[in-house]
Amino acid sequence: MEHDITQNDKATIVAFRGDVDLESSPRARKILLDALDGAAVLLVDMSGVSYIDSSGIASLVESFQTGRAKGTRFALVAVSEPALRVLQLARLDKVFDLHGSVDEALAAG
Amino acid sequence: MENSAANHMAGSGGGKEFTDPLELLAVVSEDFASSLDLDGAMVRGLKRIVHNLGAEAGSLFLADPDDPGLVCRACVGPVDITGLRLAPGQGIVGQCVDHNVGEIVRNVDGDPRFHRAVDRETGFKTLSVICAPMTVHDERVGAVQVLNKRVGGLFGFQDLNLLKVLAYSMGLAIRNARLAGQLVEQERMRRELELASEIQRSLLPRPTDGIAPVIGLNVPAREVSGDFFDHFDFDDGRTYFCLGDVSGKGMDAALLMAKASSLFRALGKTLREPGRLLGRLNAEICETAAGGRFITMVIGIYDPRTGMVRMANAGHEPPLLFHHDGALSDLPALAPPIGIARGVVADDVYPEQEFGLDGGTLYVFTDGVTEGRMPDGSMLDIKGVTRVLGRTTQLPVRALLETIRDMLCRDGEDLRDDLTLLAVDDSGPCRTRGGHRMELPGRQDEAVPGETLLSLRLPALPERLKLIRAAVGEAARTCGCSPKVVHDVVMAVDEACQNVVRHAYPDGVSGDVGIEAFRDGTRLVFDVRDFSPLPVDVAKVRPRDLEDLRPGGLGTHLIREVMDEVAFLQPARGTGNLLRMVKMVG
Repeated sequence: MEHDITQNDKATIVAFRGDVDLESSPRARKILLDALDGAAVLLVDMSGVSYIDSSGIASLVESFQTGRAKGTRFALVAVSEPALRVLQLARLDKVFDLHGSVDEALAAG
Repeated sequence: MENSAANHMAGSGGGKEFTDPLELLAVVSEDFASSLDLDGAMVRGLKRIVHNLGAEAGSLFLADPDDPGLVCRACVGPVDITGLRLAPGQGIVGQCVDHNVGEIVRNVDGDPRFHRAVDRETGFKTLSVICAPMTVHDERVGAVQVLNKRVGGLFGFQDLNLLKVLAYSMGLAIRNARLAGQLVEQERMRRELELASEIQRSLLPRPTDGIAPVIGLNVPAREVSGDFFDHFDFDDGRTYFCLGDVSGKGMDAALLMAKASSLFRALGKTLREPGRLLGRLNAEICETAAGGRFITMVIGIYDPRTGMVRMANAGHEPPLLFHHDGALSDLPALAPPIGIARGVVADDVYPEQEFGLDGGTLYVFTDGVTEGRMPDGSMLDIKGVTRVLGRTTQLPVRALLETIRDMLCRDGEDLRDDLTLLAVDDSGPCRTRGGHRMELPGRQDEAVPGETLLSLRLPALPERLKLIRAAVGEAARTCGCSPKVVHDVVMAVDEACQNVVRHAYPDGVSGDVGIEAFRDGTRLVFDVRDFSPLPVDVAKVRPRDLEDLRPGGLGTHLIREVMDEVAFLQPARGTGNLLRMVKMVG
């Protein structure tokens, strides 16, 4: 798994690429929790996620809950097909704030 | 004594002369003191008085406890006026009672107080009257009057004085007899309540031994309780438990409680689904219950072999679940109480919640606990309950229940509401589950389930999962699976391998994970196994409740979502646990 963090005046955007699995999800978790610290809006770009497992989903859930507690907006954008499949199987597609792109997410906020 | 008094009467027919007034007083008093028949003693006493005063007739009036007037309770003479009622103050008797003074009326014709209606109706001719009140400690018991002196001229003060003494003595005896009657009645009611209380206690389950996972406690606020709890075991070892609270207090709440608890036991024997059972109870209670009473109730089934609880809550206080790590969840009711109306839940099935106790303890209790008063008058409150039960991991559950009881029940103080607690303690069964492999179903068949596509044995490490996914993905593609199906089976095998990586071996112990894939016609079979000597804790890999956002159990849920068959097996060879997943393709 690789990742990028970009920041603009409206949001912090974390992009994951590759497999978010048991091996990489502890890293993904730390990246997300760190990014939540001080951010008003955190968008997770999941367009490059080729695979995500339950441990990766758990990292997203934890970040979502932490964001809620801190009052940080947390949204997933451009979720890839395999990742969306897992979110749907986990019935979490209705829980997370999902958007087609970063621009759409910012416009919706 | 009574016999001697009666013989005395029988021999003389009431006609013996008592020359000594003291002897008359002694005989009358003794008869009252020894007789159990108050009415008989009154008639006998009156006969002796009338006879001894040489009079024609006499009557004894008593104040009616339920009515302001007087009623004639004994009568001697040519006409019987027993049962005659006089309004307060009516007649010479009424005046005598009202003013609490004895009276001699030598000629009633000139007396405006005289109640002539009786003479008119009976044809009796009253000429003269003496009347004495029966008053004891300011309590107006009644009065005795004697009519028409036949022998020895007019009534004199000596006659009145004798009548006064006799009337006082009779009044005292009558009052004491009445008090004794009240005591007997009170005693009878107390015994009836005691009996009801005993019957009710017998409806509660017998106290279980110290190691039983289900423990209950009930302290009624009065003799009888509107709360109840019950539990019994099925043949397969599962326990049905229930706790309920009937609205209101007293005997009718207790009777409804008795009905509900017997229905639970009777219907629960065959209806082993808490949600449906609550539906049936609701229907039964709605059919007959009246007076606006309803019941809040929790029913559940606990399986000590897995630690799973299946529970339905009809409008009851949220039960609390203390997890083995000290975390706390509450389980609010998803449906209204029973006994209000039918059809409040779809198809008469109350919604169920299913969860694993996983070594934790479930507490169900009535509002008599949360609303119970502490010594300083404050309510124990859900916070106080949580504080006490929060020591679940440190103290035996029974001790915690008793702590709560002792906090709320104090000597000499009445409880405001019934107190009922029930605990389902999974800590013991959980330890047992860790020590044997009884819960593991069937053994893997020696025969290979089809053509082998893949056979791998690798160290169970997170960094090997990518390789496993690649291999499984290739195997699925070889079988012509669509990209979506390839994704799903890869994910399922990956999650199964994760369970091995995370749970199969104790910390610091390394072990392998084995993956085999087979094809048999339209069946793709994936076996994922560990080589651990420890049995898998089936409860730990149960699917999670999707309403719950906590991570954990999600992997198992994902596997069950995408695979057509999922089963735990014992491997045919070697020690370990095997998860077989089947996907139907083509």
